[in-house]
Amino acid sequence: MYMLIQLLKNYFTTSRVAILMLVVFLVSACAPAATPAPATPTPEPEAQFQGVLRVALQPIVQTDPAFISSDSEVLVANHVYDYLVDIDQANNIIPRLARDWEISPDGKTYTFFLEEGVTFHDGSPFTAEDVVWTYDRLRDPAAELPTSTLYANISEVTAEGDNTVIFTLLEPNPFFLYDLSDNHALILDSGTEDPSTSFNGTGPFKVVNYIPEDRIVLEANPDYFMEGLPKLSSIEIIFFNDETAAVDALRSGQIDLVMRMSIPLFESLQDVSGITTLDIPTNGFDLIRLRADRAPGNDPRVVQAFKLATDREAIFQLVQQGYGALGYDTPIGPLYTQYFNAEFTPPQRDIEQARQLLADAGYADGLEMTLHVPDSGGRPDLAVVLQNQWAEAGINVEVAVEPESVYYGEDGWLEVDLGITGWGSRPYPQFYLDVMLTCDAIWNEAHYCNEEFDQLVEVAGTTLDEAERVQAYNEIQRILADSGPIIIPYFFAQVAAVTDQFDNFELKAFAGRTDFRQVTSSP
Amino acid sequence: MEHGATPYQGWRLYHILRELYRKPASGLGTSLTIIFVFLAIFGPLFTPYGVNEQIVTSARSAPSAEHWFGTDNLGRDVFSRVVLGAREVLVLAGGGTLLAVLTGTAIGLLSGFLGGWFDELVMRFFDSLLAIPALLMALLLLGTFGPARWSVALVILIVYTPIVARVVRSVVLGVKVKAFVEASRLQGEGLGWILFREILPSVLPALAVEAALRFSYAIFLVASLGFLGVGVQPPSPNWGLMVKEARTYVSQLPWTMYFPVGAISLLVIGVNLMADGLQRVLRTGR
Repeated sequence: MYMLIQLLKNYFTTSRVAILMLVVFLVSACAPAATPAPATPTPEPEAQFQGVLRVALQPIVQTDPAFISSDSEVLVANHVYDYLVDIDQANNIIPRLARDWEISPDGKTYTFFLEEGVTFHDGSPFTAEDVVWTYDRLRDPAAELPTSTLYANISEVTAEGDNTVIFTLLEPNPFFLYDLSDNHALILDSGTEDPSTSFNGTGPFKVVNYIPEDRIVLEANPDYFMEGLPKLSSIEIIFFNDETAAVDALRSGQIDLVMRMSIPLFESLQDVSGITTLDIPTNGFDLIRLRADRAPGNDPRVVQAFKLATDREAIFQLVQQGYGALGYDTPIGPLYTQYFNAEFTPPQRDIEQARQLLADAGYADGLEMTLHVPDSGGRPDLAVVLQNQWAEAGINVEVAVEPESVYYGEDGWLEVDLGITGWGSRPYPQFYLDVMLTCDAIWNEAHYCNEEFDQLVEVAGTTLDEAERVQAYNEIQRILADSGPIIIPYFFAQVAAVTDQFDNFELKAFAGRTDFRQVTSSP
Repeated sequence: MEHGATPYQGWRLYHILRELYRKPASGLGTSLTIIFVFLAIFGPLFTPYGVNEQIVTSARSAPSAEHWFGTDNLGRDVFSRVVLGAREVLVLAGGGTLLAVLTGTAIGLLSGFLGGWFDELVMRFFDSLLAIPALLMALLLLGTFGPARWSVALVILIVYTPIVARVVRSVVLGVKVKAFVEASRLQGEGLGWILFREILPSVLPALAVEAALRFSYAIFLVASLGFLGVGVQPPSPNWGLMVKEARTYVSQLPWTMYFPVGAISLLVIGVNLMADGLQRVLRTGR
């Protein structure tokens, strides 16, 4: 049934009316209790708040901040809730709900001083208790949330009065402020029973209408604690499964902003009058990974053969048209200038050697596999290019293109043997290692487990000595480039296109963390 | 309709072809169909490049002497892909149609001849199938079968069998009361003999037209499903899938869109014109 709904959804993507009908049908069929409000509320014009920004995004699935992951989910949450601390475009930590903080000399105690007089959308006051409750929930090992590993290092979170919170760590963590600003760490009202439906944040916008699979409408929060923000009166996030449809809607004036689209679509918008295009480099990448805990990926020779059969430069030119940066099979990309070391590169393409290794591993007649790929961001193109390159070495893959919500739904992407997953940009590289590549990482989709590697990740993530960290990251790059069951052929460029009506739009490397608070609309 | 009046035995393939070429429209349609069938059979012999052969250095180039239809974003020769796509589309659409015609004919003959509760049951069931739009039905079935090439043919079988069966049944109803059928029944012939030797020849003219029409719809369905991205997977040269892939690039590489679209249109128009001609020839003899 689920698959069917996905198919129908894709079929109707370009027809908004049809989608609306489908949604109405499904809502009436499945959840008679939920009565959606009228589709488009008319925003009250106020002096401070002007303009309605209509944004095209992929549909959101998760609404509980603890489980969000896609750009659209994070973007919605980032405007409904607030982070304790935020990250600016240049990767610096900046205040948000915490106006200031102090770090003890041993690097284990962080004291945060909170903004005063902040209220949640339902009127209840924001206090230190809410911060404690939120982080206790996120780090609770029993709850098995995506963040429980990330925050395992926190020994205790305590409130001191209403406006001070103290975090005590087991080990020093040089990236702790970045961790606190993890995408999931949005402050909820303490005791919220169902965070996936409450939408009760302190954020700059309030949810006034959410129609699953169709749109979510946000309205300026007049009591927002930051003076003069937000500037817009409302944001309408309209869900598009298809980026071409989203760009068409932008061209025809039905929406104002498209983020994250394929490079050719982006190029096609370059000379369109009334539309401004933006592009910035990021640390995000497409990850091709082979499950390393069972055949055939548990044989290092097979991993080696995949690496040898891949021509990363050709992929970069064909799929990204040279936008972004070439990858070296490690998530520590060239933008992390202090850590990146260009010395460690995967082996040069060598078809003969790849064939030989496959034969040694028992696949002399070729290796047959299925390559699972979500239908977004040009990834089917990547799959087809890989298929072509690998075929020369006797790795014959069948491409299985799946809608993004099917690929990521029900954790299928963590199960498949061979898959392509897009990873968003993060301000520091430790995140990828912690959640993706250590033995018990929550999104260890490659099922990679290497003790030496884990120790290096541990050192890099705890030492307060920067030179030691650089050393560890170098070793990590060497291991991954040489033998990691992953291929990272390129790093993306982040792109967006917005109508000229809107100013002060600052695109972030992880599109979901793009901040609309400062955006203004000129009539 | 006096189907019994134009005995099938009098018609030979060359005769039908000659009659088809008597009118420019059906002649054009027949020529187009023959060209595409030729491409489907012999295409792989003369396409300069493979279906997924990526020439990195000449990616995204416009039509030229080297690449007649240009290359796509991944450096694949569009001409080769369009030609190789003919087989993909014709085999799926043709195979599916053939299956649907065989099944539909058998069921239609039996149902029309037997009548009674059997006829009632089968026809009401088919009516309920026909109430669902073909494309919706196809999406539903593909969602159940999963994406594989044979499931597209299976979808065509399920979607078009009821239509063929209804056409066959309506002809049978007119024929089964005729004297020659009565005669062979009195002679004590078996059911199989009566259905396939006595009745079927009278059904064939109508069936041929119906088959040609179904074929043109099936081509469209195969392309539509490819376009929606269900049923076929990249790097298949299914024209519908090529159009879907080209959509992203249409402003940058318009030729990747034009040629597969042109191929779909020409083939569908060709088969339709031929079906019209076939109807004229087989019904009226002129």
